[in-house]
Amino acid sequence: MAEISVIGVNHRTAPVAVREQLSLGPGLVAQLLKAMRAERVFDEALVLDTCNRTECYFVARLAMDPVAHVLGHVARLKGAPPLADTGVFYRHDDLEAIRHLFRVAASLDSQIVGEHQILGQVKDAYRAAAEARTAGFLLNKLLHRAFRVGKRVQTETDLGRGSAGVPQAAVELARHLFSSLAGKTVLLVGAGETAELAARAILRCGAARLIVANRTVERARQLARDLLHPPQAAACAPETDDQACLTEEGLEEAACPALQAQEFEEAAAEGKTTATPPSPPSPRQAATEAIGLGDIPKAIAQADLVISSVGAPEPVLTHAALADVLRRRDAAILMIDIAVPRSVDERLGRLANVYLYNIDDLDRLVARNIERRRQEIPRAEAIVEFEAAEFGRWLASLEVAPTIRLLQERLGDIQKSQIERYGKKFADRGELERFTQAFVGQVLHSPVTFLRDLSENGSTSDRLAAVDMVRRMFKLNENDR
Amino acid sequence: MAGVLELASGVLPLLYLALLIDYGATFFLRTRTHMRRPWLVGVIAVHAALLVARGIHEGHPPVTATSEILSLLAIAMAAVYAYVEFVHKDRRTGVFVLLLAFLFQYTSTILLAGRAAPAETVPAAWSRLHVLPALVAYTALAFAGIYGLLYLLAQRSLRLHRFGVFFDRLPPLDLLGTMTWHALVTGFVFMTITIASAPVMFGTGGEGAMTAKVISKIIAGSVGWLVCAAAVLGRWLGKWPPSRIAGIAVAGFLVVMALLVASGLLS
Repeated sequence: MAEISVIGVNHRTAPVAVREQLSLGPGLVAQLLKAMRAERVFDEALVLDTCNRTECYFVARLAMDPVAHVLGHVARLKGAPPLADTGVFYRHDDLEAIRHLFRVAASLDSQIVGEHQILGQVKDAYRAAAEARTAGFLLNKLLHRAFRVGKRVQTETDLGRGSAGVPQAAVELARHLFSSLAGKTVLLVGAGETAELAARAILRCGAARLIVANRTVERARQLARDLLHPPQAAACAPETDDQACLTEEGLEEAACPALQAQEFEEAAAEGKTTATPPSPPSPRQAATEAIGLGDIPKAIAQADLVISSVGAPEPVLTHAALADVLRRRDAAILMIDIAVPRSVDERLGRLANVYLYNIDDLDRLVARNIERRRQEIPRAEAIVEFEAAEFGRWLASLEVAPTIRLLQERLGDIQKSQIERYGKKFADRGELERFTQAFVGQVLHSPVTFLRDLSENGSTSDRLAAVDMVRRMFKLNENDR
Repeated sequence: MAGVLELASGVLPLLYLALLIDYGATFFLRTRTHMRRPWLVGVIAVHAALLVARGIHEGHPPVTATSEILSLLAIAMAAVYAYVEFVHKDRRTGVFVLLLAFLFQYTSTILLAGRAAPAETVPAAWSRLHVLPALVAYTALAFAGIYGLLYLLAQRSLRLHRFGVFFDRLPPLDLLGTMTWHALVTGFVFMTITIASAPVMFGTGGEGAMTAKVISKIIAGSVGWLVCAAAVLGRWLGKWPPSRIAGIAVAGFLVVMALLVASGLLS
């Protein structure tokens, strides 16, 4: 049985200029896997391609340079010369490769530790390998264990809890005020990437109505269209996935429909459900309205959340214009002022049902969450270490056991054939059988003990070498593997 | 039998205390345990068995003495909370509810130990028409007090932009407000039934003499009703904000509990 290895580059070992030369996309990954399957260089192979890493996990069939081999394929597929600097590649074998995969799946190797996108990306990579039929017995077992590790880290630690970006911090604040964002009305005042990302994140969590206010109604209309029909998202968008909808008891509550859809998909893949999956609400389902800045008092009476990002030297949402409207409100309102200088009069935050936050508050919340994630790293690493060791032990026992079985069967066959041949010359056939059985047991004792010791304490390479030697020595049939 | 009951009464607060420590560790230290719900149900079952055993031993349902009512309140709170946790899969408020359940049971055990005379018996109808609605009303008022307090704590952390334990661990603000409101409405309805049934019961052989204990119970019930009525009407007619409702719930609950305990000390 071959060893498991990984080669790759990531955001730590290679700058983006190098990573983009290796980045493949789903179509090229499928072609790469197909080419590798046709060449039969690898017994099994899987390619994980994200914006922060491109990795190939494989079970090698032949002794060769996997880096040069994979680079050659990538160059052919992309129609570009092979990457010259191979020093950016890392390689891990055996238990290190297993540990590396588990760390990746647990988001411990991510640029933002605790991000949730990576587990889905690993699942996509596995799906592609399964479709290309390059994922065999070993990678199947390894990947399923990796999914379990990722899930354990998510549920048993706080590594992924809390927002690690300002837009998601806005959603987190909203979730502390409102048990559900479904049906809420969002008022977006002004424009700006952070504000738009925050509004998009809130819409993904089920907000039903979006009012966009801008200096000109036409610009507001354009913004509303962009928010509901965003341009093709980049493949890399950490912190813009549905983790923003996670609450403190996130995995148990799964209050966000988009998260529920993701979890349903996982359950269906594991055969745990056959029900119709829930449809995650897309931003397209939210009703929209575009208004000018003068209509804000009327709009704010209906809004549950206000995200303000107006570039102006003085506040645009003033106490004089909005205090009476806000006092008459029955329900609470969350106002998030992302602008610098601030665009919301801070006196509005003193009103009974107004909860006003500025960019400093969001930054503080993000910093606290990141620090908390950092403190969870040892617990997550302990889970990875435990699971990697357990998988490693299982893998080790798998390789030696069938060899020992075949060896015992082969010697047993020799014993039987010799008894048949010479048994007539002995008066007591039973005594002959007992003698030959004891003899075979004594002969096998040392090599079997040696192989078992290797499975417990030796490296995969040593074990494979020993198994190979035993097989060749005793002419154990290749087809019996 | 009396000795066993005495021992069980002494152990019961310790069981609630153990639950409290477990839920407290989950809330404040973010530790995760997996035995909480069966443990909670187990303690409730033990408590129920103790109440039944006490009723059999004393020959009447344990529903009159203050120690008995406090014990009933403790089990009612634990049972209602177990249901809430089962339905909502949310354990975050457990430490606060169980704190109160522990205090009720602890106080009950102390009062029981100091009780000189056996508790009086009551007709069964009196139990059903008056005591059970009273039990529901006081339990609801206790929940209103707890969730009202949690609402105020959550609101304070949100208003002061403090991202600490209460920000992290408490349920959303609107949910706490809704839970407080529902508890107050429930308390109002059942306290109305309790008060309405009291004069009827006095005329049918219940507690006849207007002792200090009876008077303090009447005052406690009346205050409880006033608190719930004020909150319900204030919200409904006056559009009082949830923070004021929460404050009334907390203050009202504290006053009523103090009166109940005082009535127990007077017996």
